[in-house]
Amino acid sequence: MHPTSTARLPAPARAGRSHLEEHAIRALWLACALVAVLAVGFILAFLVVYGLPAFAEIGVLEVLLGDSWSPTATPPAFGILPLAVGTLLVTLGAMLFAVPLSVATAIYLGELAPPRVRNLVRPAIELLAGIPSVVFGFFGLIVLVEWLRVSFAVPSGESVLAGSLLLGVMTLPTIISVSEDAISSVPREFREGSLALGATRWQTIRRVVVPSALPGVTAAIILGMGRAIGETMAVMMVTGNAAVIPSPITDVLSPVRTLTGTLGIEMGEVAIGSLHYHALFAVATVLLVITLAVNLGASAILRRLNASATGRGSPSRLAAVLGRPRAGMAVPVLAAVLAAAVAHSVGGLLPALAVFAAGLLLLAAVPRLSRNQAEKAAFLLLYLAVAAVVAILAIILLDIVSKGLPALSWEFLTGSPRDLGRAGGIFPAIVGTLCLVAGAIALALPLGVGAAIHLAEYRRENRLTRLIRSGVDLLNGTPSIVFGLFGFTFFVLYLEFGVSMLAGQVTLGLMVLPTIIRTTEEALRQVPQGLREGSLALGATQWQTVRRVVLPPAAPGILTGTILSVGRAAGETAPILFTAAVFSQRHLPSSLLDPVMALPYHLFVLATNVPGAQQNTYGTALVLILLVGAVYAVTIAVRARYRAAGGAPG
Amino acid sequence: MTGTPAPGTIIETRGLDLWYGPCQALKEITILIPANRVTALIGPSGCGKSTLLRCFNRMNDLVPDCRVAGLALYHGADINAPGYDVVELRKRVGMVFQKPNPFPKSIYENVAYGPRIHGERDRATLDAVVERSLRSAALWDEVEDRLQEPALGLSGGQQQRLCIARTLAVEPDVILMDEPCSALDPIATAKIENLIDDLKKRYTVIIVTHNMQQAARVSEFTGFMYLGELVEYGETLQVFERPAERLTENYITGRFG
Ligand SMILES: Nc1ncnc2c1ncn2[C@@H]1O[C@H](COP(=O)(O)OP(=O)(O)O)[C@@H](O)[C@H]1O
Ligand SMILES: [Mg+2]
Repeated sequence: MHPTSTARLPAPARAGRSHLEEHAIRALWLACALVAVLAVGFILAFLVVYGLPAFAEIGVLEVLLGDSWSPTATPPAFGILPLAVGTLLVTLGAMLFAVPLSVATAIYLGELAPPRVRNLVRPAIELLAGIPSVVFGFFGLIVLVEWLRVSFAVPSGESVLAGSLLLGVMTLPTIISVSEDAISSVPREFREGSLALGATRWQTIRRVVVPSALPGVTAAIILGMGRAIGETMAVMMVTGNAAVIPSPITDVLSPVRTLTGTLGIEMGEVAIGSLHYHALFAVATVLLVITLAVNLGASAILRRLNASATGRGSPSRLAAVLGRPRAGMAVPVLAAVLAAAVAHSVGGLLPALAVFAAGLLLLAAVPRLSRNQAEKAAFLLLYLAVAAVVAILAIILLDIVSKGLPALSWEFLTGSPRDLGRAGGIFPAIVGTLCLVAGAIALALPLGVGAAIHLAEYRRENRLTRLIRSGVDLLNGTPSIVFGLFGFTFFVLYLEFGVSMLAGQVTLGLMVLPTIIRTTEEALRQVPQGLREGSLALGATQWQTVRRVVLPPAAPGILTGTILSVGRAAGETAPILFTAAVFSQRHLPSSLLDPVMALPYHLFVLATNVPGAQQNTYGTALVLILLVGAVYAVTIAVRARYRAAGGAPG
Repeated sequence: MTGTPAPGTIIETRGLDLWYGPCQALKEITILIPANRVTALIGPSGCGKSTLLRCFNRMNDLVPDCRVAGLALYHGADINAPGYDVVELRKRVGMVFQKPNPFPKSIYENVAYGPRIHGERDRATLDAVVERSLRSAALWDEVEDRLQEPALGLSGGQQQRLCIARTLAVEPDVILMDEPCSALDPIATAKIENLIDDLKKRYTVIIVTHNMQQAARVSEFTGFMYLGELVEYGETLQVFERPAERLTENYITGRFG
């Protein structure tokens, strides 16, 4: 056969139109991704620009290190230090409380729990993650603060301790779920290898499973920390909000005010354009920088741990550290000293000595245990931790359900509030929340899915993709009150939307955008590469492949992300605090530029500003929980169904 | 089927049945494993070799709905009896897995892991154990100057020898090996086979393999399994050259199916 005899096929002809279409679609997704990045850049720049006058006029050091925050005094003082210390103390306290409990629970769920228990506890904890922070705040205010007041016989229970405990509870679900994922994905071979050497289950957990899961557990803790630092409503409701540095610093019964709390309290009352106004932006900038640093630190730790665990790279020292749980004594001793210090400032010398002695005794006893005793003791502690977590959840839910149920009635659900919400119903708030959520999703879903398609399908790992991804991460770590601040200044004031449904929708939309992008990208990435290659090899265009082959199996995952976003948008208070929400309204909103009532905001005002409305407050909290809970239940059901169908990711 | 080799039985099963949920994976297995010899288990894949091996150190405990009936004895004691110390059993009956599974720790820490969990704290002793074990596993020369590097950076063959060293460091009586060479290239395989030859002087080795040449090369006794049953068991030479069962002969001569 002559080589020339192969008939020259015409160059693959592309119909001009479909070619054009491919390009247009590609450009569309890129545009979506760019919008996401631009939004981040814009928000950041905006905060900094608005914060600058404060730094310029007062001085950077005075703002950062000034130890007094009293904006309305003469002369006013704008030192952020007490606020930053407040945030730090409350976060630290929350972590001290939440980390041991949640890691223990994660270990229990991942390693010890019978499957039936696991399948019950896991969704329960996910559900807990969905409880809006304002509901926690309400519970904290009514139950926790009161309990502290009585048990420590102090004038008010609003304190560092209250904030820490409440925040700790709120971060439990995050830390538990992410750690448990990490623990469950430790390869079974590691466990077998260790058990086959005659290690006990506890030794295997402590020396092999937990160290292998360490990157994931670290990430979980840092995620929880990020949530704690950025949390506004709950903290604001239970910490007393006095801008003081506790003295001594270990006095956990002192009130404090956090960075977020300051924004939440003062943004609504400040004179626009004043120095105070700009100082609040300086606070927001500091808050953002802290969350940023936490997130960056997390990724750095993760990268290094990952590299050393997989043997890539050369961080041999880290690997050695990972393998050698030395330095073991320092941590417990430090913990004992800290506990003693806290006991001292709360209760005096005697309790302090008792706590310290107990700690030392424990330390002395541990190395003497035989390994079977050690295993029994360790498991006992794990069970206790799990019991504590379950009890906390049960107490919160039972309290709200039992006191909220009597308030629920047809009139409550369909009527308008009367007598400042003490009587009447919450119908306008329900409608308002639904409108806000619908608008936010309508905005964020197309944009988010588009950006994710760009990232996952049209990726060429280059600087732009990395930029987009870090932008998304940044947006994801941004505290919701910062969105509120931005929305207020930009949409409400600058674009002159006024306090309106539209401003609230856009603000909430921005807030849930990263969730949608991330879950969608994740879902797309789980579609096997073989499917794409199969389709492309048949001559399908990229868009045809994405639309017909990649998106269908990824749909449940995208749906999950969307529903989660719905839940989050429905429960958030901080972003709508100044952008959309009003406390009472005679008519339902008739245009996008009308303000709206919203469930979380209604609950917040009832709980903090309307005495004698307890029954309706509980009722509102219950409705909010039911709404969000229903959303999460649907998510879990969707996922379970697709998993059972052996289907796609979710 | 029973084979009763040499005196000094170290592991023994009598009428051992095992189910994974509703599926019976082992049927009436009766086998006597002689001490300080190499015993090979051969048979087509899925016939239950790994399952049987994992009965000897109760690794099947980890499989959720796995059920055992019949007797499995180690030094004459019923290892499935309530109250039997399974941790102690696994310490004395070590195991090397099909896929090398070093921990994500340094080479040193991998080998030191066993002694550490069994209470050894003294650094000098640990150093000595690590060196001795790595030497016994014919790995010392290759890793001597990189002990603190991550074990996962080693090649597959090296990882597997590290896992053997890790097992030796616990000083077991018995070493169970589940297709230890199946993931390795021929050179690494040859190294491990030589190693097994050395090991049999001091340890009882039970090796699962689907490679008949390997069984013939390294073992003194061979059991042939088929569909969950132990079809034939005896001295390797005899099993390979004068098999008593038709099935065995077919399998060994490659006329199978
Ligand atoms: N964890 C398990 N759960 C259920 N069935 C299993 C499990 N492990 C093995 N089996 C089944 O038991 C039989 C024997 O498996 P195995 O012992 O692994 O065979 P071999 O090692 O000889 O290839 C096979 O049919 C296999 O499918
Ligand atoms: Mg096998």
